[in-house]
Amino acid sequence: MAGVVPVDSPPRRPARRRYRLRESLTGYAFILPATVLFAVMGVYTVGYGLLLSFARWNGFTPNWIWVGFDNYLDLLYRDDALAPLVHDAALNTLLVMIGVPVLAIVVGLPIALALNRIRVLRSTLRTVYFLPFVTTGIAVFYAWTYVLQPQGSLNAVLGAVGLGSLQQPQGFLGNPSTALPTLIAVMAWSSIPIAILLYLAALQSLDPAILDAAKVDGAGGLRTVTSVVWPLLAPTTAAVVLLNVRDALQGFQIFLIMTNGGPGGTTNVLGLQAYKWAFFSDLRPTLGLASAMGWLLFVLAVVLAAVNLRMLRSRT
Amino acid sequence: MKARVGTYVLLGLYAVVSLYPFAWMLSGAFKTNRDVFADASLVPDSPTLDTFGRTWTELDFPSYFLNSLVVTGATVLGVLVVYSLAAYAFGVLHFPGRKVIYGGFISLLFVPGITVLLPVVILQQELGILGTHLGIVLPFVNGTAPLSILLLTNAFRSVPAELRESARCDGAGELRTFLSIYLPVSKPALITIALLTAVPTWNEYVLSRVSLNDPSTYTLPLGLQSLTAMTSPEYNVIMAASLIIVLPVIVLFVFLQRYFVNGLVGAVKG
Repeated sequence: MAGVVPVDSPPRRPARRRYRLRESLTGYAFILPATVLFAVMGVYTVGYGLLLSFARWNGFTPNWIWVGFDNYLDLLYRDDALAPLVHDAALNTLLVMIGVPVLAIVVGLPIALALNRIRVLRSTLRTVYFLPFVTTGIAVFYAWTYVLQPQGSLNAVLGAVGLGSLQQPQGFLGNPSTALPTLIAVMAWSSIPIAILLYLAALQSLDPAILDAAKVDGAGGLRTVTSVVWPLLAPTTAAVVLLNVRDALQGFQIFLIMTNGGPGGTTNVLGLQAYKWAFFSDLRPTLGLASAMGWLLFVLAVVLAAVNLRMLRSRT
Repeated sequence: MKARVGTYVLLGLYAVVSLYPFAWMLSGAFKTNRDVFADASLVPDSPTLDTFGRTWTELDFPSYFLNSLVVTGATVLGVLVVYSLAAYAFGVLHFPGRKVIYGGFISLLFVPGITVLLPVVILQQELGILGTHLGIVLPFVNGTAPLSILLLTNAFRSVPAELRESARCDGAGELRTFLSIYLPVSKPALITIALLTAVPTWNEYVLSRVSLNDPSTYTLPLGLQSLTAMTSPEYNVIMAASLIIVLPVIVLFVFLQRYFVNGLVGAVKG
């Protein structure tokens, strides 16, 4: 900035330049606390984690053993004990990455459309729908765990309304074939509010003239939605997918609290596996593996975000 | 008319789904140890306040509650001070490297928590703050950097430049202008950031779990988790404790929801 000021500037210029310099210094002073914190908590930890992913360490020995890309290769295919574990967890993660966004859209869009059509109760219902999102965390996960127990309320309710065939005598989290779908449903329950909110905001900003034109052309309600509204909402859908895919990749708290990966590893996901390697290694040298796993997740997150953005751009 | 009814039925059904676990949380918290599974009705046959009383007094919940307040309060305060200053610089001032540094902060958004979880704990140990509240507050503050900077920079940028010009003509320095013009004008954005920081911090479990060891430092989520470590978890006590965690969040949300909603829509659009 200062470089563009000519050397033989008129007498007014030095004052202006002094002002510029002062503004720059003020700017640096203002971002100093944020930058120091970022350098220590962000850059340092990211760098440390990256280095650790190329080493073998159990967290206690004074020295790391450098192993190059071994951790990554072992995780991906080379190690006979680790790779199958990672592949199973990757498959579960993939199911979560597909299931949660699909549910968020399939449930969130109709609810938003319905909410957009009514006046009475709209804001009350919006508040109610939003509670699962703001309260998401350990307390709500325990509430679901309570509900899903063998003698829990969901089994009781299913029995009472004549859907006894859907009851799970071992509990929904205890049966290996229902545990993962149940967790996906609970995750979707927490994230549908955001989909409703974003779809509702998008619907309210749509030009009513377009919808009227569709009506004049004789398009029915469903027809209007599928061929007029849905394409117009594509950017919102992309945002919903992006948010949910990111959460599915990174979030493992619900798995840690509700099933800890069980029963029999059927709900183990990549984030949870990395967490276990990092903090429950029992002196085994798995800390580097945990770091490498974290970085694979990071790369995956960036690639998916890029693909999502590209698809969004090409469609609009 | 028929379509109208259908719409309300659909909306009503989903309201039930949304409230379902909260209803049972409330129900369980007012049941006795014996009834928590034996009595399958939503409204307890013999409701009791004992469970609440026991959870609050015998299980150190006042201490957990206080710790949660301290951690959440410190994190919110830190975020507001550190990132409103930074956002003022990014949004209003001109200095070399502004865009690059701004981009650096935003890129943090893509780093998954699990990727830095272990290095953060090792760093806490090296700095001698492992197991302290400061040790978790610092990474919490840093973790909100992308969102806080994004929203606050946009808010400050939308303040008319004439306000700053006229303040300068009156002889106000940058800090004065920031404190007495930009902060008051941007109050809604600051409240939004405070809420979007407070709620996840109040609920945070994973980093707290691996950082805090001494039960006297536990926050509410850790206190809740320690209840389930017993051999046969008492779900009525767990539900009462869950309610203690969830209630303040619900109250905050119901009264300040427009700040939540504006912030979330703004964050996604940004």
